[in-house]
Amino acid sequence: MDTKVNNTSKPKLMRDAVIDTIYNAAKEDKNIIFISADLGATALDKFRKCLPGQFIHAGISEQNMVDLASGLALSGKKVFLYAMAPFITARCYEQIKSVLASMNLPVTLIAVGVGLGYDHATMTHFTTEDVACMRALNGIEVLSPSDENSAIAITRAAINKPAFRYIRLERQPQRHLYRCDFTSEVEQGFVHLVEGVDVVIVGCGYLVHKALLAKASLEKLKVSAGVIDLFRIKQINAAGLTNIISSYPAVVTIEEQILDGGFGSAVLETLCDQNVTKPLKRVGIGDGFDVVNGDRDQLHELYGIDTPHIVEAALSIMGT
Amino acid sequence: MNINHLEDKALWLRQECWNMVMRQRKGHIPSSYSCVEIIVALYYGGVARLTRGRPDAPDRDRIIVSKGHAAAVQYPVLADLEYFDKRELERYTQPGGLLGMYADYKIPGIEGISGSLGHGVGMGSGFAFAAKQNNEDYRTFVVLGDGECYEGSVWESAMFAAHHNLDNLVAIVDRNDLCILGRTRELLDLGDLEGKWQSFGWKAITVNGHSFEELLDALSLIGTTSGKPLAIIANTVKGKGISFMEGRPEWHNRMPDEEQMKVALGELGLKTMVET
Repeated sequence: MDTKVNNTSKPKLMRDAVIDTIYNAAKEDKNIIFISADLGATALDKFRKCLPGQFIHAGISEQNMVDLASGLALSGKKVFLYAMAPFITARCYEQIKSVLASMNLPVTLIAVGVGLGYDHATMTHFTTEDVACMRALNGIEVLSPSDENSAIAITRAAINKPAFRYIRLERQPQRHLYRCDFTSEVEQGFVHLVEGVDVVIVGCGYLVHKALLAKASLEKLKVSAGVIDLFRIKQINAAGLTNIISSYPAVVTIEEQILDGGFGSAVLETLCDQNVTKPLKRVGIGDGFDVVNGDRDQLHELYGIDTPHIVEAALSIMGT
Repeated sequence: MNINHLEDKALWLRQECWNMVMRQRKGHIPSSYSCVEIIVALYYGGVARLTRGRPDAPDRDRIIVSKGHAAAVQYPVLADLEYFDKRELERYTQPGGLLGMYADYKIPGIEGISGSLGHGVGMGSGFAFAAKQNNEDYRTFVVLGDGECYEGSVWESAMFAAHHNLDNLVAIVDRNDLCILGRTRELLDLGDLEGKWQSFGWKAITVNGHSFEELLDALSLIGTTSGKPLAIIANTVKGKGISFMEGRPEWHNRMPDEEQMKVALGELGLKTMVET
């Protein structure tokens, strides 16, 4: 697939890329409303200054933010909600379920710092369950871009086709993976980023970059690994994904989530529902994990989800 | 406004609710009855601007009964407004019927889903904010319970509405003083509700929630609050109109036995168990 780029330009923060995309649309569409629960961004400063009538500060009041959004959406507004990942999900989960999901309202929830993105902030700021809890919601679409261009394309799609969505953004800039025009990939819901033979590693967001590192390590061991960026975690393109995975003898899924009900579970469920059985190893955070100081990669090592563990999982599932 | 006419409407609404609920023996009569006068004042007291037969009229006032267990009190009124076929009242909670025990937003005239407490003021703030932004004149009325005021989200939204000068938003607190387990004052005192709403930046006033004169006087304050949203603390009696239910928490969702049914029918002026 012709999506990879050799782009060495400094990637933008995903949040800035996403907010700039919404800003450009909001200039033309007065019904676009952007609400923050006190999370900022450089791009948001411009939005607030230039489009004050379309920006709302909800207060550090995520529950009000969601209820408010429901009234706005029922009044014909296209609403984007924005906050740190843990607070726009679990903190106001009942509101999301009771008013947004129940009425299937066209509100997009934008989370920043998913998984272990707020590494040093530790437990309260981790979202090691957001994939499980958000994908359990009725009618939602869950998207997790892995770089700036995929984040922009996903945002454009959200603007063009308002729906009940949850978009998971990385807190730190991510190396470019895709060319600018990612439109057809958004439709597809995943990208077969690297083709391989022996095993395929499936991840999303930051973990796609880890998959690429693992693929390089496996190459040194004469193992040919493929990599799939499964950025649409709910409303998975089941037929398309299964078709690709079927060509591999083994599968490894990777995530920064508690394994129960998370990303790997979503992949397994999809394969199962498509009547495809494959040796599959889920790499993720086990129950009972502890919190320590450390950066994201150090935490990955501690929780057994770093590159060597991904390699080990691949080798074990291949029976090597 | 002819108060006698409103009193008649209140009795009619209690009768209609009774029939609807008792046919299926599903629902919350006491919570509905505490807010009957509030509902009648809004819909029949010349307050809400609505168009018969047009539940989606863009300029309609929005009414949300946020205490969703009592939202069924709106059903007979919405049918009376010709928003849907009156025969739906007979199919309440039945498979294939339009009307559920809790109000769903797909019911014409129900502005937003309810059932879970603490959402109405935030949702209403969204309606009110959108009206201001679009230069539209409609007002939003939210009826909530005093027990509902335990929910923190109510106060998040109260703060928001005041900050944005949503004087097109009215919250009516049905202060029946009861939640499922007993009296709010004894279980966890809600304190001075008028003072609380006032301190959050609302114009707040306390009235007898069963007095049409007082309710209508309070509702006439809309547009005179110097930019503040309006909170009306309506002191009410849970189960009002049925002597053995009045002020009795155990009746929250209990159904009467045969003897109690006779008493209730007598008090409601109904001849048979179900009049259609």
